[in-house]
Amino acid sequence: MKIEKTLNGNALKVAVEGRLDTMTAPELDASLKDSIVGVKELTLDLGALEYISSAGLRVLLSAQKIMNRQGTMKVVNVNETVNEVFEITGFTDILTIE
Amino acid sequence: MPEKSVREMTLFERQHYSLASRTFRATIAGSLVLGLVALLVGLGLYAYALGGQYVGAAFDLSRTASVVLPYAADAEALSGEVMARYRALSDEEREQAGTEAYRAHFAGIEADGTYRAAVETLKLLLGSGDMEALYLGRFDAESGAFVYFADAAADPAAARGPGDWVPTESRTIRKFLGWDGVGRLYRIERTGTGGWRAVSGVPVRNGAGETVAFVLADVRLTAVAKGMRSFTLQYAVAMFLAVNAVGILMARRMSRTLVRPINEIAGAAERYVRDRKEGAGGTEHFAGLKISTGDEVENLALVMADMERELSAFEDDLTRVTAEKERVGTELALAKRIQADMMPNIFPAFPDRPDFDVFASMTPAKEVGGDFYDFFLVDEDHLALVMADVSGKGVPAALFMMVSKILVQNETMSGLSPREVLERMNEQICANNREEMFVTVWLGILDLSTGRLTAANAGHEYPVLKRPGGDFEILRDKHGFVVGGMAGMKYREYELKLEPGAKLFLYTDGLTEAADASNAPFGKDRMLEALCRAERGTPREILETVSGVAELFVGDAPQFDDLTMLCVHYIGKDADRAGRELTVEASVQNIARVTEFVNGALDRAGCPDRARRQIDVAVDELFSNIARYAYTPGTGFVTVRVAIGREPAAAEITFTDGGAPYDPYALEEPDTTLPAEEREIGGLGVFLVKKLMDEAVYERREGRNVHRIRKSFGPAGAAPRA
Repeated sequence: MKIEKTLNGNALKVAVEGRLDTMTAPELDASLKDSIVGVKELTLDLGALEYISSAGLRVLLSAQKIMNRQGTMKVVNVNETVNEVFEITGFTDILTIE
Repeated sequence: MPEKSVREMTLFERQHYSLASRTFRATIAGSLVLGLVALLVGLGLYAYALGGQYVGAAFDLSRTASVVLPYAADAEALSGEVMARYRALSDEEREQAGTEAYRAHFAGIEADGTYRAAVETLKLLLGSGDMEALYLGRFDAESGAFVYFADAAADPAAARGPGDWVPTESRTIRKFLGWDGVGRLYRIERTGTGGWRAVSGVPVRNGAGETVAFVLADVRLTAVAKGMRSFTLQYAVAMFLAVNAVGILMARRMSRTLVRPINEIAGAAERYVRDRKEGAGGTEHFAGLKISTGDEVENLALVMADMERELSAFEDDLTRVTAEKERVGTELALAKRIQADMMPNIFPAFPDRPDFDVFASMTPAKEVGGDFYDFFLVDEDHLALVMADVSGKGVPAALFMMVSKILVQNETMSGLSPREVLERMNEQICANNREEMFVTVWLGILDLSTGRLTAANAGHEYPVLKRPGGDFEILRDKHGFVVGGMAGMKYREYELKLEPGAKLFLYTDGLTEAADASNAPFGKDRMLEALCRAERGTPREILETVSGVAELFVGDAPQFDDLTMLCVHYIGKDADRAGRELTVEASVQNIARVTEFVNGALDRAGCPDRARRQIDVAVDELFSNIARYAYTPGTGFVTVRVAIGREPAAAEITFTDGGAPYDPYALEEPDTTLPAEEREIGGLGVFLVKKLMDEAVYERREGRNVHRIRKSFGPAGAAPRA
């Protein structure tokens, strides 16, 4: 998994590439917690994400909860597989997917 | 003998105890004893000779006097007169001898002519010779005395008067009175002043031949004593000089003939030892000695020289033999390497063959051995497996092993069946086997597409087989006689169907008979136990485990046999269809490995990306669940099995673990409609699995948790279920 972060003022864009699963989720979690402070606008680019497992969902949920308090969060470029997971798990209702 | 050894002595002590000094001292002591004896004998002889001379002189004088006296005086009358008066005296009166009162009893005799004549004659005869006194008197046996009649003493003051007497021992009286006239009559007595004197004399007889008196002469032996003293002195001086001279001569001689040669030999020996230590050559340490004493010492030197030559020759021999041994050792090491290189030893041996996996190892006990294994592809579809053990050890066994190995391979490669190979091999070996060597061989040919194994066993250990889902078990196959044992032997072969996933383990008795320090063999039970411990591993892992367990068992005990093992894992041509297994530790670290393993099978089956990702998510969820909960807080293994089905194309994946019973589907399904703040993640993974897979079930089977998921990815066009 590769994580690419771009901070523009208080807008943070995070691009995730590869697999977001049990092994890699803690890495993304730590990475987000590191840079989310003071961010008003968080964008997660999942265009290059192969798949996501429940461990990845946990990270997204946790980030969504934080952003609910301090600003907005949106998820962009969701592919079919990932979107399927979001749909199955009801995450489509929680996340702002564009 | 000294208490110290020669090495501990000081130089002075060494000299003191040296042979020369000892010889010198012994010579002196011996000579002194001899000299003393000689001195005593000499002194005796001297005293006897000189004393005899004096006695002779006294005797001759007294005899002369006894002849002459009768002409001058009437000895008989004088005797009668004096004796009459003497006898008339009482004992008390006699006790007064020498006093005036006593003399008074003999008054008048001195004035008598007879007496005067007798004294004068005696004085005349005495003259001025060596004699002390010449006197006339008589022994009186009755009173035990000698009574003087007339005395001519050289010293007038010491002269005795007539009637004077001296006590005389009865022995002397008897001797003088009983004299038979033969030889000299004398006696030796001490003088009052401590000297010695000889008294000699003859009887004076009257006409009737009766003894009326004795004429006696006293002679002092002072000269004799003086002579003896000076003799002793001269003798002592002479002896001292002679003894020392002899001692020194003897010591010198000893030194020349014994001590110096011995020291030379000792010196040569020291040089010999020193040269040896310094590695200097020179083999003539003893031969160079110039010792020609002609005795044992010379012989010793010669023997030492011989010994040195012999030792030198022996050393040369030894050096040659050692060099030879080293050469042989080097060649043996080379032979060992050639032997090891003869066996396939690069692993993985067939990296491009996914349908089987093989691993083998040989640990020779010492130098070259007689065990060998072999495996080779007869053709694309047939894998030959060989395990053999040649009788005996060392170079002969190794040579025989090479021949056996080549024969097996050549015959097998020519397309013969195992039975035919063993028979052909047996004929060829028996044809030229004067050393009567033999080899036990297990030969199997595995048909890789069908799993059909054709094998023949020529007196070798039973193979061990693990069927999929089962344990390692000894396969009691049909045994034939050893190869090379007897010409014309027939061998039997048998067939076995290996299911994909089966593992076959071959070994030599070096494993089962490996002994520990108490000589107990490793045995088949321990071998099976070790195999079972590693049954899920690859062939390499299995062999390493068995080898490790065996090594632990034998400890430091020396091993006398080679340890040779081979393991083949039959996966099969259509492994994916039959199912592939991977056993890993239940740890989240292994998720990548499991995913890769599953994807491998999916890729080969042409699984579409979408389905593959869904399966990956399910694998991730299930495996991480097992890793987290199955063995907590300990750890254990999970076996992942992937089977690909056709018509419709589908993947079936099972996870089997030995952990605590755990059914993830028993949990309540999460409410996926709640807003973020109220959502929980627990149970979401399992929920995902259920939704993404066609089938997701949990079973508790034989004490194990079995999670099975199934996902069909169908032929093109068959839309997978969302």
